[in-house]
Amino acid sequence: MNTTNTMNNYSLIIMTDDKQVVLERILQVTRYRGYLINGMTAKVNTGNNIATIELFVSSDRPISLLTDQINKLVDIKSVRVDNNASMLSTAKECSA
Amino acid sequence: MTDNKPLTGGGLLFKVLEQHGVNHIFGYPGGAIMPIYDALYDSNIQHFLCRHEQGAAFSAVGYARASGKIGVCMATSGPGATNLITGLADALADSIPMVAITGQVPTAAMGSDAFQEIDIFGLSLACTKHSFQVSHVDELEKVLHQAFEIALEGRQGPVLVDIPKDIQMANVEQTFKIAAPLKNKVKLPLADISKALDLLKQAKQPILYVGGGVGMANAVDEVRIFANKTGLPSVSTLKGLGALEASDENYLGMLGMHGTKVANLAVHDCDLLIAVGARFDDRVTGKLDQFAPNAKVIHFDIDTSEINKRRIADAPILGDLKENLPLLTMSLEIKNWQAKIQQMKKDCAWRYDHPGTNIFAPAVLKAISDLMPKNTCVTTDVGQHQMWSAQHMSFDAPSNFLTSGSMGTMGFGLPAAIGAQISRPHDTVIAVSGDGSIMMNIQELATIKRYQIPVKVVLIDNEKLGMVRQWQDLFFDGRLSETDLADNPDFVMLAAAFNIKAKLITKKSEVTAAINEMLDHDGPYLLQVKIDAADNVWPLVPPNSANNEMMESA
Ligand SMILES: Cc1ncc(C[n+]2csc(CCOP(=O)(O)OP(=O)(O)O)c2C)c(N)n1
Ligand SMILES: [Mg+2]
Repeated sequence: MNTTNTMNNYSLIIMTDDKQVVLERILQVTRYRGYLINGMTAKVNTGNNIATIELFVSSDRPISLLTDQINKLVDIKSVRVDNNASMLSTAKECSA
Repeated sequence: MTDNKPLTGGGLLFKVLEQHGVNHIFGYPGGAIMPIYDALYDSNIQHFLCRHEQGAAFSAVGYARASGKIGVCMATSGPGATNLITGLADALADSIPMVAITGQVPTAAMGSDAFQEIDIFGLSLACTKHSFQVSHVDELEKVLHQAFEIALEGRQGPVLVDIPKDIQMANVEQTFKIAAPLKNKVKLPLADISKALDLLKQAKQPILYVGGGVGMANAVDEVRIFANKTGLPSVSTLKGLGALEASDENYLGMLGMHGTKVANLAVHDCDLLIAVGARFDDRVTGKLDQFAPNAKVIHFDIDTSEINKRRIADAPILGDLKENLPLLTMSLEIKNWQAKIQQMKKDCAWRYDHPGTNIFAPAVLKAISDLMPKNTCVTTDVGQHQMWSAQHMSFDAPSNFLTSGSMGTMGFGLPAAIGAQISRPHDTVIAVSGDGSIMMNIQELATIKRYQIPVKVVLIDNEKLGMVRQWQDLFFDGRLSETDLADNPDFVMLAAAFNIKAKLITKKSEVTAAINEMLDHDGPYLLQVKIDAADNVWPLVPPNSANNEMMESA
């Protein structure tokens, strides 16, 4: 749903079970739902086998459309929009 | 299992299926799934050998939709697995609970471009609700239980489990456990009922908009009570048909691209839309920003991601319809609106008078609907015949009208009818198909022959890919590109080759007797109904138009 035509940057913090395929699922959903990926980091906590993924995306669509879809993925523990980081990623946009 | 053989991964599969109450599965064997088929040999589950994996997938979908139980299908690796994909996509798009089992090449060969190796796990990401690839026999049991749990939980959907051949053959070391209770992942916020109640009480021209979610939530009774108690004028999506009683005077039929005129006009004029298990699909809304332009929205759904996806909800109500809808059930003061709607309904009633001796498909489908026994299950393929079925037939329940809604997959009707008939052996099952669509899974006539499945096929034959031809005539200057099927095979002779009784009718005068003969026949039957190639489906909301801008003739 296009509520506005300006591209906005967002940073998502996603916690997932450490399953190899989760990364693929997140990337697939992100592309399909119309969000551009500007960058990402992914780390696994070997203690609890929870992976933390930081995803920098931009889109003219509201971010809730993406977070709702990522949340539906079975292996996802949580997803939240990190507002502080989103300022950061705006600042870093040219280098992305 | 015979007692002297140790339990293998393949044997475990059938034990788990039995634990989940699975009696019937649809499939097709091949190299990488042979250990599972070997274990099947000892199982009590009845397997139906379809003649194409797509047929197996659609039979599983039809089985699930007609019975409310989960549908199970299986296929070998590589081409067997890829042949399931259209069925998985269809089940995902229409939220149908299904478990698909695929064989995979042995673990050691995976990733080597082995014979019949394809990354079905990777391919499944976009066309399943969830999928698994089993990497050790010790996790097989848990994965299979999870597959059932996920397929049925929340908004239902298809789950694929890919099992390498060595794991199918491996001995199960762990002791076999009783199925663990299902844990529910859906966390839903409390519904904001008070806002919805206010909107409902204030509304002067409210409309109830019912979708496929009602049947899936098993909330047909709740919706009917809600409709009766409130007296709300109501409309249905394609997938919602059967949820509301066709005899309810406030019910206006289907809305959207080929909806009834009164349904579309009423929705356009409403000031409150109560969406129940519906998702504002583009075939429903027409031009989105002109859909119910003056309406506030109450949106009931089980899936958070449907709220505000295409239309902002003033009062979203997430969760189980069965629990939430009764909270809004009350009587309303909307006499003027009801009276206005009744007048519109009278002015827009269907007409079945049609000049000449040629058969008029809407009248045939209306006649079948009037003559078929109670609780008949109708499946359709995709095209004009599908829209005419939706417009002119009426159904007792959503599980009695199975049509490929979101995906619009030609080839759905025949195998879905087979699955429906197997799940409900005592009900009549009718597949309404087109002369284009039926050829997409025509091989399933062999499944009908083998198991003597008494499905009745009504073939609406316009010698055309009619729906595409209609659009070519209306929107592409009549340039009829690749839509002619005048050289189709002789369908009566084709049916005979499968031992299926068949008849061709071409004149109005033959219709009633032919329908009765078909319905009275004990076994499978194919009724070929020749119609005029130029007949169109009306009304039609043209592309990029609002729903009140319907065309009613060319
Ligand atoms: C698998 C698939 N391929 C193509 C289409 C596009 N399509 C939609 S309706 C239609 C024509 C269907 O012809 P027929 O089954 O004879 O039905 P009719 O419209 O003539 O009643 C086509 C080709 C589709 N829906 N599904
Ligand atoms: Mg046709």
